[in-house]
Amino acid sequence: MKLKKLTALLLAGSLMFSLAACGNKADAPASNPPAENSAPASTPVDNKTPDPDPADDANLTETQKIIKEAEGMTLEELAKKAIEESNGKMFYGVGNSSRGKSALPLFIEYLQSIDSSYSMEFEWQQPKNNKIFDQLTADSLKDTGTFAMTLIQDGNQIESKMVQTGILDTFVPKEWAEANGVSADSYDGYLALQTLNKVFMYNNTGAKSYDNCWDFVAEGEHGLYMDIDSEIVGKNFLYMLTEDTYAGWLKDAFNALSADEQAYFQPTIKAMESEAADLGLGADGAYALAWIKLWVESYNAQTDDGPICNTLVDQSATDQFGLLVYSKLRSVEESSSVSVNNINVAAYDDGYTGIGGYGYCHYLFVTDNSPLPWTACAFIAYMTETVDGFSAWGKDMGGYSSNPTVAAGTEEKYGHSKGGMSEDGATVEFEAKNDRGYDWWTTDGKLVLEDPEYCASVSFTVGSWIEMLTKYSAG
Amino acid sequence: MGQSTTLQASQSTILLNKIKTFFSKPHNVILLLMGIVLTFSTVAPIVAIVEDTFKIHPGTIDAHLTGQAAGYTTVNYIDLFTSKLAKTNLWTPLLNTIWLAVGTCVVSILFGGVFAFLVTRTNLAWRKYLSSIFIFPYIMPQWTLAVVWQNMFNSNAVTGTSNGLLASLFGIEMPLWWCKGLFPSLVVLGLHYAPFAYILIGGIFRNMDANLEEAATILDTPRWKTMCKITLPMVKPAILSTILLVFGSSMGSYPVPHYLGLTTLSTKYVSMNSKFTGEASILAIIMMVFGVAIMLLNQLSLTSRKSYTTVTGKAGQSSKFNLGRVGRYVIALALVVVTFFTSIFPIVSFAFETFLPNPGDYSFLYTGDPSNLTTKWWVTDENVSENGMYGQKGILHNETIWRAFRGTMLVSVSCALLAGSIGTLIGYAVAKSRRSKWANYVNSVAFLPYLMPSIAVGVAFFILFSNQYINLFNTYTLLIIVGTVKYIPFASRSSLNSMLQLSGEIEEAAIIQDIPWIKRMTRIIIPIQKSSIISGFLLPFMTCLRELSLFLLLCTQGFILSTTLDYFDEMGLYAFSSGINLILIVTILVCNTLVNKVTGASLDKGIGG
Repeated sequence: MKLKKLTALLLAGSLMFSLAACGNKADAPASNPPAENSAPASTPVDNKTPDPDPADDANLTETQKIIKEAEGMTLEELAKKAIEESNGKMFYGVGNSSRGKSALPLFIEYLQSIDSSYSMEFEWQQPKNNKIFDQLTADSLKDTGTFAMTLIQDGNQIESKMVQTGILDTFVPKEWAEANGVSADSYDGYLALQTLNKVFMYNNTGAKSYDNCWDFVAEGEHGLYMDIDSEIVGKNFLYMLTEDTYAGWLKDAFNALSADEQAYFQPTIKAMESEAADLGLGADGAYALAWIKLWVESYNAQTDDGPICNTLVDQSATDQFGLLVYSKLRSVEESSSVSVNNINVAAYDDGYTGIGGYGYCHYLFVTDNSPLPWTACAFIAYMTETVDGFSAWGKDMGGYSSNPTVAAGTEEKYGHSKGGMSEDGATVEFEAKNDRGYDWWTTDGKLVLEDPEYCASVSFTVGSWIEMLTKYSAG
Repeated sequence: MGQSTTLQASQSTILLNKIKTFFSKPHNVILLLMGIVLTFSTVAPIVAIVEDTFKIHPGTIDAHLTGQAAGYTTVNYIDLFTSKLAKTNLWTPLLNTIWLAVGTCVVSILFGGVFAFLVTRTNLAWRKYLSSIFIFPYIMPQWTLAVVWQNMFNSNAVTGTSNGLLASLFGIEMPLWWCKGLFPSLVVLGLHYAPFAYILIGGIFRNMDANLEEAATILDTPRWKTMCKITLPMVKPAILSTILLVFGSSMGSYPVPHYLGLTTLSTKYVSMNSKFTGEASILAIIMMVFGVAIMLLNQLSLTSRKSYTTVTGKAGQSSKFNLGRVGRYVIALALVVVTFFTSIFPIVSFAFETFLPNPGDYSFLYTGDPSNLTTKWWVTDENVSENGMYGQKGILHNETIWRAFRGTMLVSVSCALLAGSIGTLIGYAVAKSRRSKWANYVNSVAFLPYLMPSIAVGVAFFILFSNQYINLFNTYTLLIIVGTVKYIPFASRSSLNSMLQLSGEIEEAAIIQDIPWIKRMTRIIIPIQKSSIISGFLLPFMTCLRELSLFLLLCTQGFILSTTLDYFDEMGLYAFSSGINLILIVTILVCNTLVNKVTGASLDKGIGG
């Protein structure tokens, strides 16, 4: 009984503290409500997402002023500023990709090629479980933050939690902008380092084949896919399917099915028409919702793309398929039961119809309270403007630089389009490893591309609808 | 006048004397200091979580529903309990969590308790070996048993993955309920926590004076009655402590249900945290409420605990049940087989995994071709992407793994020393003044962090120490603080249980001789209850070595070994995670041996062997 009283007292005390804290409302950072408009999906460069509008220089933060100045500088000019600012100091970066850690030493070498006396210590952190957003939010509370910059994925959360709240600022490097035929002033999207693709692959040791994206949600199918609650970009993929262009692709793919196959899906599509109308989707929205419903209610959730890849390349995984990061194929070692040749990339098959996978970006930002803003800008420019700077990612297939010049240079250096050829260069050894490149994937490969603004706009309409679906559970 | 003056003087003198007397007793000073410190360290996280449930988080459901980006609201409670998603987000995970926690308690107490009885109270053969091997599942991170379970029982036909060992080698396909969901989760967690029951219950069995049982035997009491009326009541505090610890731990376990596909409050907490941040915090509070309720039940059932003194100043003796000439070997053999699968097989499987060309690629087993084995996971000394290394160096050359190892050692040793010392003192002080309200308060407040789900505690401390004044994310300081607060109950429970067994006459004899407190502690109290007290240090150490849920959100993946291990497991790089597991197991065994050599005590030896 005494303990009950104690517990009640503790909880009551907690509640009082909480309520007392309610009075501090005015101290909370103000921000705008989520964006309502829905721009069409496009490649990262065309991505029109509203940044904090630098309408007036007087309203810019110190970091934004530096960024504005930096956007008019070449890489070499930025490098000199970085040397001046960070020589002998410590640089902290945080990102969803661990390879920032590999890129930083190359950047330091580059700076040392300009000033041999230059040195900089660094630490690159890669938080998991969506913690990067909490970490950046916490760091933003300080006058001068710990992290100089970030490399971050999930456009939806970036938009609503990082950009609209003014925690992160976009820096558009001059030479990157020129290579893309835009200017820093006119470009108001995020700066993407690269696009990664998750593609449909299936184990080919059985007789089954998949020649239409609706086959992946057919009766009895259970694709291997990272749990959409674990990796939020997976949920963004589903959001993007409801965008008019991609819903149209799904409709086209449906129309290419045989009458029997159509008959199976038709009732679900019909049932989704009213849902699509309620959610304010376009004319083909019902096709998107039907596909999403069937997918969520059938996919076999996995912890990561690694285990999915390990499963699919094994000869025992007959007739299994998955939607996973293409680059995972790079690390498969051939053995008696495991081979890259045990899988097909669905979109590479002749006659395949419909979406081939999903493309999402790694974005680069300078933190608004960056302790080393010039160095952050220089590092970002180095990664997006040079083949060496991008090499930490570019050396492997399945990651496409947002800078066409760097992309071309990377292909020239690493030859990913012939990554599956034997040493003679003429014999196809592993068809699936011949990466057809970004241009192919975004046209013939029908890659669904993430649009942060669209994702944010439907995250509580389509998103809540998805939450209502009963996920398939193998357990 | 004279009388009045005398009265006034005596009142103030009495007060002063009372204060002086109060502070002259070391246990009172300990209780006062710990009460203040622990109140802050326990209440602050609770406040942080409660506040979070009312807070509006940009980009999440509360911001969407209120149309505001900041401020406070009750909308999280309304939405969680009344929306269409209530079943998915709250009720189903809650039910699963309760089943999991109850099931885990049953499995661990039955398995661990029976094992403890056999090892400590019977003439079972090979006790030393069995005692040592039994604690292995507790040494290993809990989710690694889940991974072993998957690798063993998954099959293409049932789970829609590649074939596990049973399906690959023998074509045996286990049913779905066996492979995924509640059953494997509670078995894996039950096996993991069984050593816990063994340690706590075994400690009591070992110290129990057999005179009581012998008296019953002399009075011709049936054996079952002796067991029910004497033996079980004697170990009741340990059983209830085990329930308390196992229930709370399994309720807050994230990785096992995560890997085995069971939706619990913990897994829901993580999955909801990005979009339903405030509602996720309510789930944490619900878990805490359950934990507190269990503690209250435990407290109520132990009101007569003082009558269970088992160690007195008088000579005691223990007798062992005779299992029979054949029986002691048959039962031991059965236990050897069982512990092989729970303790040895996972280690062999970890070792084997580090020589496979691809994760889960068992080609060698059915081809016998040695080219299907490799040492690349150990010896590769360059950063390569090809040949399945995913850009990692081999374990022996992998700076990330060894840096994480050093970090883990630092955190574990610090937490063990701090939590062990503080917990031991609390246990002692509470036992010395167990009728005092303040002592009960200190005891409860010290135990409260254990009842909170580890992830929630982690988040709460993250919030506490992430502001414009202090930012401790990804620092060892933060991990040590959180680990210490969380693990004090291990030591305080262990210490309290043992101190309650200790008759007051032992220390009183020394007090009469005017022996100073430090000397009483180091020469009398601690040596007598050495095994329990050392358990109070070893348990935080071992737990901290492979703690994930608590530290998951407090640091990055290469910072300590468990987050690194989890990273590799999630990525499907089982060779690395298996290698790390081996490193952890070897580390714990070495430390256990060292402690054994230096102090003469160890977890297993202290209990049964």
